[in-house]
Amino acid sequence: MKSKIKTLKSLRLIASALTLSIAVVISGCTNLDEEVFSEVTESSFTPSEADIISVMASAYTPMRFVMGWQGYFDLQEEPGDMFITPTRPNGWDDGGTYKRMHFHEWTETQWQPRNTWINCFNGINSANRVILQIELGQLPVSEEQAAAIIAEMRGVRALYYSMLIDTHGNVPIIASYSDELPVQSSRADVYNFIVSELTEVIPDLSEVVDVSTYGRITKWAAYHILARVYLNAEVYTGTPQWANVIDACDEIINSDAFILSENYSDIFSTNNETNPEMVFAIPYDQIFAGQWNAHMKMLLPDHRLVFGMQAQPWGGSSCNPQFINSYNPNDKRLSDTWLMGDQLSATDGSVVMTLINEMPSIYDCEFTEGFRCGKYEIAPEANGSLSVDFPFLRYTDVLMMKAEALLRTDKSEEAATIVTQIRMRSFDDATTATVTGAELIGNTTVQYGTLDEEGNIDDFGDQTTVTYGRFLDELGWEFAAEARRRSDMIRFGVYQTKNWYNHTPKGDYTTLFPIGLEELNTNSNLDQNPGY
Amino acid sequence: MNNTNLFQIFKTSICLKLKTKLSFVLFLVVSIGFAQQKISGNITDANGLPLLGVSILEKNTTNGTTSDFDGNFTINTINSGSVLEFSYVGFKTIEIQLKDSDTNLKITLEEDLQKLSEVVVIGYGTQKRADVTSAVATVKSESFVQGNVKDAAQLIQGKVAGLSVSAPSGDPTTGTQISLRGTSSILGGTNPLILVDGVPGSLSTVAPEDIESIDVLKDGSATAIYGTRGTNGVIIITTKSGKNDMKSTIEYNGYASLTTIANTLDFLDANELRQKYDEGYTFNGANVEDFGASTDWVDEITREAYSQVHSLIFRGGNSTSNLTASLNYRDIEGIFLKSNNEKYTSRINVNHAMFDNKLKANVGIILSEQTFNALGDGSSFNPYIYRQALIRNPTEPVKNDDGSWYERDVYFYDNPVAYIQETIGQNRYRNTRFDMSLSYDILDNLTVKGLYTRKGNSNIRGFYQTKNHVSTVKSGQDGFASRGTDDYVGNYGQFTIDYKESFGAHKVTGLAGYNYEDNTNEGFWVNNRRFPTDAFTYNNIGSGQGLQLGEAGMGSYKNSNKLIAFFARVTYNYDNRYLFMASMRREGSSRFGADNKWGNFPGVSLGWRVDQEDFAENWDWLSNLKLRTGFGVTGINAGNNYQSLSGLTYGQYFLNNGQWVRQLVPSRNANPDLRWEKKEEFNVGLDFGFFDGKINGAIDYYNRTTKDALFNYSVPTPPYFYGSIAANVAEIKNSGLEFLLNITPVQNENFEWTTNLTYSTNTNKIVSLSNDEFQLTNDFFDQGYTGEPIQISTHRVQEGQPIGNFYGLKSVDIDDNGIWIIERPDGTLVSATEATTDDRRVLGNGLPKAYYSWNNTFKYKNFDLMVNLRGALDYQILNFSRMFYENPTISYNTLDSAYDQVYGKAVLNDVQRYVSYYVEDGDFLKIDNVTLGYTLPKNILKFTQSFRIYATGLNLATITSYKGIDPEVNREGLAPGNDERDKYPSTRTFSLGVNFTF
Repeated sequence: MKSKIKTLKSLRLIASALTLSIAVVISGCTNLDEEVFSEVTESSFTPSEADIISVMASAYTPMRFVMGWQGYFDLQEEPGDMFITPTRPNGWDDGGTYKRMHFHEWTETQWQPRNTWINCFNGINSANRVILQIELGQLPVSEEQAAAIIAEMRGVRALYYSMLIDTHGNVPIIASYSDELPVQSSRADVYNFIVSELTEVIPDLSEVVDVSTYGRITKWAAYHILARVYLNAEVYTGTPQWANVIDACDEIINSDAFILSENYSDIFSTNNETNPEMVFAIPYDQIFAGQWNAHMKMLLPDHRLVFGMQAQPWGGSSCNPQFINSYNPNDKRLSDTWLMGDQLSATDGSVVMTLINEMPSIYDCEFTEGFRCGKYEIAPEANGSLSVDFPFLRYTDVLMMKAEALLRTDKSEEAATIVTQIRMRSFDDATTATVTGAELIGNTTVQYGTLDEEGNIDDFGDQTTVTYGRFLDELGWEFAAEARRRSDMIRFGVYQTKNWYNHTPKGDYTTLFPIGLEELNTNSNLDQNPGY
Repeated sequence: MNNTNLFQIFKTSICLKLKTKLSFVLFLVVSIGFAQQKISGNITDANGLPLLGVSILEKNTTNGTTSDFDGNFTINTINSGSVLEFSYVGFKTIEIQLKDSDTNLKITLEEDLQKLSEVVVIGYGTQKRADVTSAVATVKSESFVQGNVKDAAQLIQGKVAGLSVSAPSGDPTTGTQISLRGTSSILGGTNPLILVDGVPGSLSTVAPEDIESIDVLKDGSATAIYGTRGTNGVIIITTKSGKNDMKSTIEYNGYASLTTIANTLDFLDANELRQKYDEGYTFNGANVEDFGASTDWVDEITREAYSQVHSLIFRGGNSTSNLTASLNYRDIEGIFLKSNNEKYTSRINVNHAMFDNKLKANVGIILSEQTFNALGDGSSFNPYIYRQALIRNPTEPVKNDDGSWYERDVYFYDNPVAYIQETIGQNRYRNTRFDMSLSYDILDNLTVKGLYTRKGNSNIRGFYQTKNHVSTVKSGQDGFASRGTDDYVGNYGQFTIDYKESFGAHKVTGLAGYNYEDNTNEGFWVNNRRFPTDAFTYNNIGSGQGLQLGEAGMGSYKNSNKLIAFFARVTYNYDNRYLFMASMRREGSSRFGADNKWGNFPGVSLGWRVDQEDFAENWDWLSNLKLRTGFGVTGINAGNNYQSLSGLTYGQYFLNNGQWVRQLVPSRNANPDLRWEKKEEFNVGLDFGFFDGKINGAIDYYNRTTKDALFNYSVPTPPYFYGSIAANVAEIKNSGLEFLLNITPVQNENFEWTTNLTYSTNTNKIVSLSNDEFQLTNDFFDQGYTGEPIQISTHRVQEGQPIGNFYGLKSVDIDDNGIWIIERPDGTLVSATEATTDDRRVLGNGLPKAYYSWNNTFKYKNFDLMVNLRGALDYQILNFSRMFYENPTISYNTLDSAYDQVYGKAVLNDVQRYVSYYVEDGDFLKIDNVTLGYTLPKNILKFTQSFRIYATGLNLATITSYKGIDPEVNREGLAPGNDERDKYPSTRTFSLGVNFTF
């Protein structure tokens, strides 16, 4: 009997235990939704009016890669005849990356072209995303605002394409934010896309030039990009567009919105945001937008003492003596651009080190061998990033583009007038500053040829006259270290033909970079550029 | 039971709060059974020593008892003429047929060398060793590695075939690296699931001295019940605990250690450098001239480190309750100045039984506090300091005449002694764990159990660099302070129903359960600079002016995740001959995409005990022969929280109308298809024992395939916003063999020698790196990085190849100018200055193909000696120290060997390069742990139960051709085998210890 009661009790217990256990299982619940704390989910977020600029910002911020590590500056300068990054006592072989840039022997894994591709497409993608959000009505904007934002975003997009057409040429045209795997376009198609996009959006872009449009695409910036693309049209498509260059430049000149900076150095100062030359600047800030570290690569470690910096620079790149030797000694741009000779301590004026204009070999240079770029102001207490805004499009360039188009359309004296006007601010003596049309048509003053360890030419290579070579020199002296030497050298046919420093020409195909391995790897629609 | 159905039934019921589940068992009521015949007796081992806790069971009933401290027992049998079964861990089980006349029994138990009756901890329960059908290893405390171990894993280093445990860093705050059966996951790492008394924890949750045994579940059929994190195996740590009816004891275990650097690199000392000057060498940078002093920089920042560990364990119990309390104190010094680790761990565990032992309750608390100096901001050690000591000019003095630190302006070159002395930092961690469980035997064969654990972990960090630190002297920060804190809270709940039944020769067990786990992490940090005084260090961070100048930083974060699972298991045993186990787990993780949160993880295994068959009856030499095979699916909860969610975040600044505003961008490329990584594993094994177990062991073969392995996959931008996405793409295969052999060659009254050999192999292959959605045009990507100034990748991950391939230039010669000559893949030779990245090829592999160990224990009278040897075979190491410092052209101090002729031809005169010359064979044999102990005879110290003193050494000697400090280098991740030049050097430790129980 007892055992029967026990069994009944037990059964009841089993029943209650089971019920409870089932309940317990439910209790933990099976809810696996994620709870977010330090970010917002796209589905639950409603952008406010203040968020509009934050959304648009994402299209601009990738531009700061220009002066960043292995960025656009490296891409445009390292393969040129000006900047050399040789092996130094503290390294700088870096797996041979700078030697490959100098020799034009880059591979698909070269970081400078990859960074350019990645950042430009990041900007393009962000611009497309903003346009889509406007089109879908996800942002609280008026119709008028919407049109202006879309125009500006298409302008930014065209700016990125104006860089990509120059570096990689045959890139995909991506005009919307979608899931589609991008399809490659020809360089000519990219050219047509940039021209038509800019032409279409220019009427909708702002004409205001003040703090409200600083660092943004205005009508004038759009004309400037257009002029630059026209200027290189022959390289991109085989057909020159010199008249279009002049027209686009005239739009900017006639706007009276810009004048030449009185003082050359002011364009590159820490507080250059108010400089009257700025058509489009990329703003940097030591605290808020600190991606400018190009100076860390160009200055010596001991420049910390010279400028009273917080950071100790890394000491890699210096200037090819062949280019330094091409300057007129009276050209103030020589000392405005390059740090030369004795470097004095910021505290007591003693000589910290002495820079010399000799660079024995890309395989072996001392720290002090080669002049260093000092064009951009190093403010006291500067750290690993500079607060100088990068003058990506400046008014002098508008004038020089016009001058080049005139020069190339048999109006050399008109061109010379413009060039002289620009030279005047860098020479004390008007006679020296003056340049003639005939001079501009003539050969370059850079003595091309490869150098031996003593700095003597050991292989002259191609010594044929560079047509408009002197004009190329003018571009070099004026725009030294402004992330454009490569494009200019290509347009004047020097890049693919001449010897300089330790470099010998490798062929026409090097005027475009290879598409990155990773990019090819992830998008089967892409074919490698010819020659690679 | 079909898990899906179970799940649906549950779903239809009401929803209660989780925490209520534990209390219900309290309401259950019980009855008490009756007995008939009284038998008493005494149980001893072969040497006549009484055995405590022997389980005595009246066969075919549930009536049983255990022996007391003196080996005595009393049992009232239900039936007369019953059979009594005596079983005890480590001893052979015997059965005694009672005669009516029996009232007093004298029982002697024989030691069981092959441990078939040993209880093995498996997922959510235990099994007898004899019944286990999967690959499970058990190591008891008496076999543990002794001395100054880093964590629980080092206790079983070299003891488990297939489990590789290494201690590549000498940092007293870092643990060991573990990998079981190779690398099965790319992002999920190789860390196994660690369970401490059934609850997920870490290898340092409890002190090593507090651990009773460690069980390692190796194959998929065993770990499938832990579905989520079972891929890398499960390590189950069982702590020392009290037993009912045990005499109160206090156990003390303490030791003092001396730790030294295991091996130093030979850099030029002051005299050698002066000799180089005399020989006409000139240098740049650091060694540019003789500064007049003679300084051994590594000696200046290192020391002989003294450590002490004290551990007390209190245990005791009456017939219904028992208690364990322990207090552990470790004060460990590292070999670098200021490097240390001080930790207190306390554990209290109370077991309480009621209602005739049917209701069992357990309450436990684990608390620990850990404090160490921080030489890095938030970290124990700053590798930069060690690098500076290596590369510094040995003729420089430590200080100037005026007492200030001697500094020079050389690229990345700072006085390492100043760096240490002018840095003040401390990290403090507190861990808490509250456990509570209740179990109730509803029927003799049906038990329900609920368990709840609340875990917490918090830390606070402080860091300060004084105004005499280079951060001010060279970089003008005027003092730099940083503070930070992190906090973790986790809930863990578990509910199980256990069932067991026998019908004649059939034995069946069943288990069903539910698991809930959530984890929340949050924290914040601040830093500031420009302080008025050094006096505050990091304690008055607001007094710095960096905040006002935009030079201060701060941040905070919070995230959480959840895991929920249902599981079930059945085992079936027919006549102790045929064994079967099947389990199923259905588990969900909040991390995965909305439609992919749940995964099913089945496991099944079979065993055949050949020795129990009739035909084997007369094979006297055979004591055990069991064939096992199993298949199981496990998953890895890889990746980070929120990777499947489309999130937005405010990022970089943008200048708008003169004001800097933040951009609003997607947080990541969200992957809503994110799902479980699944590993399928097939295992076949053989357990054997001969000559009464004097020779026994096991052989296992495994073949595991990880599908949908998660990787941060490169994707095109556009259409993607970022260049990579976490996606389930890769497929990885691992296979290998494991051998375990235990032999007792000599065993007599005075002398015993037991020896244990393990050998395991692993072959690894990446089958695929693409799936339907994500395609790589090429079948590889590069990983690993040399760092500045060589700046190139070290490894290639390629389809069809194993993980860990070194990929670089193959050096074969050197030219007269001291420039490397490279052999291209097509066999042609080229100067290194001409070689391109296309000339790279596979130079070796950083993962050992085989591991082996040989452990010996000798006992002579009261002396015991343990000698453990351990090694790894067939792998390569990239020696970063040589690659960077065995080069006379660099602008820092160099290795002595930099001036040796390379290939016997010329002294190197090339830039630092990653070439095969620095890829060395890593094969090694270590005499790892030698312990000599002496146990005092019982009659000498009356107040103690046992008293043992011992001396032990760890990492004593290494036989290898490898030229670096230690051939045991990092084996984790996709770039294994890189012996980083800044690695905290591994150490050698000697300890003296004492162990006694009152």
